Order: sequence, then structure tokens, then C-alpha cells
Amino acid sequence: MATKSTTAERPRASAEPWRLVLVSVAAWLVPGAGHLLQGRRDKGLVFLVTLTFMFAFGLWLQGRLFPLEGSDPLVFLGAIADRGLGLPYLFAYFADAGAGTVVAASYEYGNTFLMTSGLLNFLVILDAFDIAQGRK
Amino acid sequence: MLPAVPASHFWFMVAYALLVSIVFATLLKDQRREQIRTGAMMFGAFIAAAVVFGWLMYPFPL
Repeated sequence: MATKSTTAERPRASAEPWRLVLVSVAAWLVPGAGHLLQGRRDKGLVFLVTLTFMFAFGLWLQGRLFPLEGSDPLVFLGAIADRGLGLPYLFAYFADAGAGTVVAASYEYGNTFLMTSGLLNFLVILDAFDIAQGRK
Repeated sequence: MLPAVPASHFWFMVAYALLVSIVFATLLKDQRREQIRTGAMMFGAFIAAAVVFGWLMYPFPL
């Protein structure tokens, strides 16, 4: 017997693929941009300010932006995390920031701030993607 | 010129806990009141856990 599907049971129609790509790329490049593009202004601004500040704070604490080296899995994973924030990472990379000062007392804290900001932005990108798909 | 980096591990941890709590609370909740409540609870839990584990690890000579 066919059952009547309700709005609650049926997933909402997905957004167009180009829109999903646009939202995801924008959210990666600028933290919170995916939310701002979809009208979630407050959330977008909080992500923009908080994650950018976290990344800058990590650089100030003399953390290191790790290179993509396959020979050391932990460095490789750290490098992926560092690249979670698109434009801030690229600015830092081209400004030769993030060399890291291993002997500094704040070095490991800096690394933690840098990697966490990138990882949190991956979650923010997924949230923006879900919103674009109509799941939230 | 940037100010010198402070050497307080405690304040680094507080800053980290604060920023992570803000992002998670904003991600998880939609209402402002809920966001503030969740963020405050998460921040308090971060700090409490750090202090408790700090004291638990105190006897170990690492």
C-alpha cells in the first residue's frame, strides 16, 4: 500500500550543484561566507571574526604552517588542517608568515590555534553545505 | 609592531576554550539564548576539566 509522504518524512529537494559548489568554495575561502551568502548573517559574522582571529592568534603565537609532506603522516595531517581556512592561509603563505619558532614557549599553542581554526572551518563548511541542501 | 607574546599557559588555554566554545555554540544552536547558554557551559567545562586534569597530573614528574 502506498503511503502518503509528508514534508517531514521526505527530504527537501537538493539545491543546484553549482550552488552547492559556490557555497562550499566561498565557505572555504572566507570563514562564514557560506552562511552569509545564504542569509545567515549572524552566524556568518561570528565565524568570520572568530576563526580569522583564531588563525591570526596562532600566527602571533609563532605557530607553524606545516608543508604538505607525505613522508611524515602527522605533519601531513597538520598541513591539511592548516589549509582549512582558504584566504587567510594564502595570505599568510604569500606573506611568508607561519614559519614557526620551535624554541618559543608558545610554539605548540600557535600550532594548536592554527590547526583548530582550520578544522573548525571544515565543520562550518559542512554546516553551510547542509543549509544549501535544505537539511537545516 | 606586534606586542610581545605572553608566556602564560593558562591564558592561552582560556583563549582557546573561549574561541572554540563560541564556534561550537554558534554551529550547534540557532537561538541566541541557547547559543549563549551552550557556549557558557562548554567554556566552563573546558576550564574546569583543564584545572582538574592539571591538578591530577601535578604529582607526575614529567
